[in-house]
Amino acid sequence: METIAVFLCKCFGEIDTAVDFDFLTGELSNDPSVAVISTIDSLCLESGMAKIVSLIKETGSDRVLIAACSPLAKGGFVADSIAEAGIERHKIGLVDIREGCAWIHGDDPGGASRKARDLIHMGIASLQNGEMSDDMTVTVHPGALILGAGPAGLAAAVSLAETGFEVALLERSKDPGGMLRLISRCYPGDENASEKLDPYIKEIEKNPLITFYPQAKIMSMEGDTGDFTATFSSQGKDISIRSGVIIVATGAKIFFPAGLYGYGELKNVITQMELERQILNGSLETKNTVFIQCVGARDTKRPYCSTICCPISLKNASRIAGDVPGGSVFVLHRGIMTPGNTLEKYYRDTLSGGVQFIRFEEDNPPQIGGGDHVEYVEVFDAINGIKRTIEADLVVLSTPLVPNTDNVNLAKMLGVDVDSYGFFSEIYPMHPLETKTDGIFICGSARWPVSSDDAILQGKGAAIKAVSYLRQSEIAASTLSRVPGSKSGHARVVAESCTGCGNCVAACPFNACGLERMNSGFVSTVNMMRCKGCGNCVSVCPNGSIQIPEHNYRMVGEMIHMAFQGWEL
Amino acid sequence: MNQPKILIFACKWCGLIGADAAGKRRASLPSRFRVIPVECASLVETDAILRALAGGIDGVAVLGCHMGGCRYNNANHTAVKRLELLQDLLDTTGIGRNRLLLSFGTAHEGYQFEELIQGFFDELTSLPPLDPWLSPFGVTR
Repeated sequence: METIAVFLCKCFGEIDTAVDFDFLTGELSNDPSVAVISTIDSLCLESGMAKIVSLIKETGSDRVLIAACSPLAKGGFVADSIAEAGIERHKIGLVDIREGCAWIHGDDPGGASRKARDLIHMGIASLQNGEMSDDMTVTVHPGALILGAGPAGLAAAVSLAETGFEVALLERSKDPGGMLRLISRCYPGDENASEKLDPYIKEIEKNPLITFYPQAKIMSMEGDTGDFTATFSSQGKDISIRSGVIIVATGAKIFFPAGLYGYGELKNVITQMELERQILNGSLETKNTVFIQCVGARDTKRPYCSTICCPISLKNASRIAGDVPGGSVFVLHRGIMTPGNTLEKYYRDTLSGGVQFIRFEEDNPPQIGGGDHVEYVEVFDAINGIKRTIEADLVVLSTPLVPNTDNVNLAKMLGVDVDSYGFFSEIYPMHPLETKTDGIFICGSARWPVSSDDAILQGKGAAIKAVSYLRQSEIAASTLSRVPGSKSGHARVVAESCTGCGNCVAACPFNACGLERMNSGFVSTVNMMRCKGCGNCVSVCPNGSIQIPEHNYRMVGEMIHMAFQGWEL
Repeated sequence: MNQPKILIFACKWCGLIGADAAGKRRASLPSRFRVIPVECASLVETDAILRALAGGIDGVAVLGCHMGGCRYNNANHTAVKRLELLQDLLDTTGIGRNRLLLSFGTAHEGYQFEELIQGFFDELTSLPPLDPWLSPFGVTR
């Protein structure tokens, strides 16, 4: 029979003023499974720890129960130190009798003593019934797969190659650069877009560690953290690539405002992107220009702010105001969004540069007038309360970025989530750029509309997060927890009693449960690399076939039974 | 006077931290409650709650993280749905939904934990004890 050594800590009077230790030792000595009961003044001091280790070795106890302060105080430290002396961590139990008992019931010594006894009995029950989860390791493939060669993807690829890892860079179109290729200059530094891209493009051409696959189309995605396999076609060839991590930088697309403000019907009503193209190839002809913000954004259908349209309008409005003498430039907006120190300065500079700003309300949008092309814009100035008619021969509509339509499919293949709009969702707010599957990162506008500077920053951030996986030669499933050392265990399936109902598959928040076809029917399986040990599957299983060994139903039952032992009614 | 017994399932990221903080600020609570730490509120099986009530425990509390703040990708959302169904079931059987306290995101801090548990004690004290209706299952485990 397994025996348990119980160590009680007095914490120099902090605990034994409320808890009667004579009563405790008397009660515990009746328990046949308790081999050693030892009371120590302070367990967390070196002398206390040495005494524990020597006593365990002397008596040959299998399991150790420490009744001291809470795991958040010194309890966890004591347990870890004893584990270092050669006792398996899952055979060490911790019971909190200081914060959870002596301190909180200081005015009721009798009740506190009884509670301490029950808590220790619950601890013994949990030690006796606790099991250890299986573990598995995966050999990490030291390479990264990056989807999308926009600024975010390029920055991630170059940063990863700099640290010495192989990178496969996939791009939907022919050339790298993403949306940055279509625009002339970037805000807020008014930097030339091609100058910004060039160093990255040169690097991916020159660096032997980076392989660029243009016109790539992903067909399937398999595997888990440390060893993914992606199958895709590139320029007519089918290619299969293994990688340790995946960085999703697929970007977003521009919303086309069909039917809004006469777009498509009136000549000279164009989108911001068409204006960029006209600036880029020098075909822009305008005298009086009107920009309209929030076209198709911040409404009931797309309630989010795309964050980049206001700065882009500022950039182009100040450019036109400077380049076209004698003309007027108006920006009709619903509140200019310029967060941060650089963008707000940009707004003030634009304001003093001759651009006029008029605020309108959502329910009273501007009206475009004219025959086959724009002649004037009517707007109700919400601040002055008057209607104004502005002469215009060019109207530029600022439209938001919207998620790519294939995001949902890609997310399903990768086993990650998209948010309610269709952008990839990260673990908000605690783990930016990380998805619910370890080893898959998101950056750039695939995550949320961002400027090119932010996309590059996020690409580098994702690369650094990826390195923390790639630098390991092997990854154990038990270490895949976002708070180091906090993982309790993995779900375990009892295949004999599993009916294959699929409740756990539906309930798992991490896509870890799956159904496998056996001779007798379906049986649930748990992918340990994805399981985080939350136990959602446990509580939906109709017959207890899936359990977390560290917290199984027998243990909980015993703990409930011991919770109020011998309680005087 | 009825002296209620309370069992608390506390998620180790929120409820347990609140319980710990309540101890640190030397809160004065009745000693008739026991805390079972769990990884996540979604790990609390409905069977365990029923077993506790059948075993003569007067009230069960499940403390988890606030909605949207779960460490396990919103696992607590499903826990809420499941446990609210259980509350309905407790009403149907005559035990009463007020014997199961669900609290998500309201026990982070010591004083919140203290208020919550003290309130639960006061509520249970006004209810008749569950013991007279103990089932044979509960007595003999």
